Amino acid sequence: MTQQELFDAAKAAVVAADEDQAVAVAQEAVAMGLDPVRVIAEGFTPGMREVGDLFERGTMFLPEVIIASEAMVAAVAVLEAHLPADKKEKKAGVVVIGTIEGDVHDIGKGIVATLMRVYGFEVHDLGRDVPLVSYVQKAREVDATIIGSSALMTTTMMGQKTLEKLLKEADIRDRVRTMVGGAVVTQYWADKIGADAYAENAQEAVQKALELVAG
Amino acid sequence: MGSGDPFGMPVSHSLASGMGGIRTAGDLVARMQLHRKMRLPEAKAFVAAKLGLSPVELSDEVVMRELREELDIGVITSVPGASKALAAKARIGRLLDLKINSVEILKEKMK
Amino acid sequence: MTTIRTRMGDGHAVEMTADEIRSDVVAGTEDAADRGRIPALTEQECDWLVELFCRSDRVVGVDQGHEVVLTDDGSVNALYGAQSSSGVGVPVSREMGIRVYERAFCMDSMEVGHPDYSFKPVRPIVALEQQAMESTLLSTIVPMYYGAMPNLALYARPDGPFPNPADLLPMGKIDEARAAQEEAGEYCFRDMVYVAKKMWEVGADGINFDTTASAGDVEFLATLRAVEQVAGSTGLTIEVGMAAEFVLGMHGKVAYQGTRLAGLYPHEQVKLVEAAGAHVFGPVVNTNTRRSTAWNVSRAATFVKACSEAATIPVHANVGIGVGGVPMCETPPVSMVTRAGVAMVEIGKADGL
Repeated sequence: MTQQELFDAAKAAVVAADEDQAVAVAQEAVAMGLDPVRVIAEGFTPGMREVGDLFERGTMFLPEVIIASEAMVAAVAVLEAHLPADKKEKKAGVVVIGTIEGDVHDIGKGIVATLMRVYGFEVHDLGRDVPLVSYVQKAREVDATIIGSSALMTTTMMGQKTLEKLLKEADIRDRVRTMVGGAVVTQYWADKIGADAYAENAQEAVQKALELVAG
Repeated sequence: MGSGDPFGMPVSHSLASGMGGIRTAGDLVARMQLHRKMRLPEAKAFVAAKLGLSPVELSDEVVMRELREELDIGVITSVPGASKALAAKARIGRLLDLKINSVEILKEKMK
Repeated sequence: MTTIRTRMGDGHAVEMTADEIRSDVVAGTEDAADRGRIPALTEQECDWLVELFCRSDRVVGVDQGHEVVLTDDGSVNALYGAQSSSGVGVPVSREMGIRVYERAFCMDSMEVGHPDYSFKPVRPIVALEQQAMESTLLSTIVPMYYGAMPNLALYARPDGPFPNPADLLPMGKIDEARAAQEEAGEYCFRDMVYVAKKMWEVGADGINFDTTASAGDVEFLATLRAVEQVAGSTGLTIEVGMAAEFVLGMHGKVAYQGTRLAGLYPHEQVKLVEAAGAHVFGPVVNTNTRRSTAWNVSRAATFVKACSEAATIPVHANVGIGVGGVPMCETPPVSMVTRAGVAMVEIGKADGL
């Protein structure tokens, strides 16, 4: 197997949500003496990206996304054992996420939280109907890098604006990046209230989060 | 139709695309879709035949205002003595050969 | 270069050239074709849409004779409700509101619905809802549905007794998440059938299962089963309106009559809705707020056209805020609302809206 064929096999194993195959490819990579960092970056990670795209298009479903992510985690564990300590996979960032107080719609927010975990974020999901002060408290407690809030109603989206104000009052706004989403939320609203990012769907939310932590 | 404020949604669609409800023959065409699963052209053709009109006249406010009063099947304007509500629906059921649930329940109670 | 004032998917104005509009119309239909694996609009249809969006008219309309049936869902929440339901806070009762919609807004059919608008909360107060229906039937002429949402999410914690799949899935508890959804789906099915039968008893013309599959494929399955049951035991007209353009795979494995439900697009959804025994189908196509209305309407018309061609029952396309090409904003511009509606009729060949 050539190096490129192995990268392709790694990607295919993740897309197929096949943990055994993903682990076997990782073991083969180790046996071939390939750079584990490149195997992750050029094989398994593109596979996970394709999984996200397929989910967004409605051709792959949430349980399969979870199984695919478990396949990737298992394969990365094999490769990480052969990485120098300074190159071990670090978490992408710490996310505090929830649906704004007064709003009980949490399916979309839950999917975003799930995909963020899949992409290596440490996610603290506060659930739904979350008092604004809870975002601030949790962000302080876990030293969050991103705060994500969801609003499905025009009444509750106002809470996203107030949250920006509370984070400033708590003196932590400059330490975190804020993301907003939900059916009624738009880029215009994000710009208006001073949020750092808006995403149209879960896959885009992950990409935006990765861009935010990359600076 | 979907959610939205009354001016932005029902009023806009009504002006742009709607049959006109009881202002024209919209409710009659709707009944054929809802009761008999008829697609739009078939439903319009059925109602037009029953009324002796062409399909385009089903959305003609002038033609239908007069015809609805003649048939006494309920009119958009407030006309004293014209059939209202259940009475209008009973006459619509007879006109279109439909059993309308609320009318049938009333008939049952009158037995 | 001359530009046309049109709108983005979030409702804000944007100046575009005719070439830019054409480019968006083509890109919109190609996106739908690619995702739905359906034919893109023809060149002639694209030309028609470009002309529609290049016109300076504030309000546009269908050709005379092409008018369609309007079904108002969401009850009359928008009239007496508050901001959260796009409501304008007019202090009228539900029945008065329905009469305004019938006699002043000229709707072709209407529905009675509770402000909570879900079957679960309606069940314990169904006697009150039956009386609201009876009273409305005594004062109206147009066909009258009772409408509510299956809303499977209300059966999961903290609103309901079953574990929440949104909690279980991230923990990798896939089997448990699937089992919880299946159990919740059973209760959702029972509530839908119960309320529908109660409405039939008091004279309703129809039942509207609105915003179906909002919580994914198990909710769609519960609705299809409810349709089958209601069709077999009452004479109600049954409408199924969707929540989104494809069925979200929260479970991923449930099937109806051998067809896996997750990932189905409108032209596939309608065949199952028909098979279950429904009378009217309401497809939904989501609006992308970052793209122009021309892109969104072209995309929505492509999906609705494929759905109309596949259907044997009437198709009433959803054209409310954030769906069917209508911008996602609280006060949708009438210039775009009318263009979206007209496109669903003239290109999408919808039987109603």
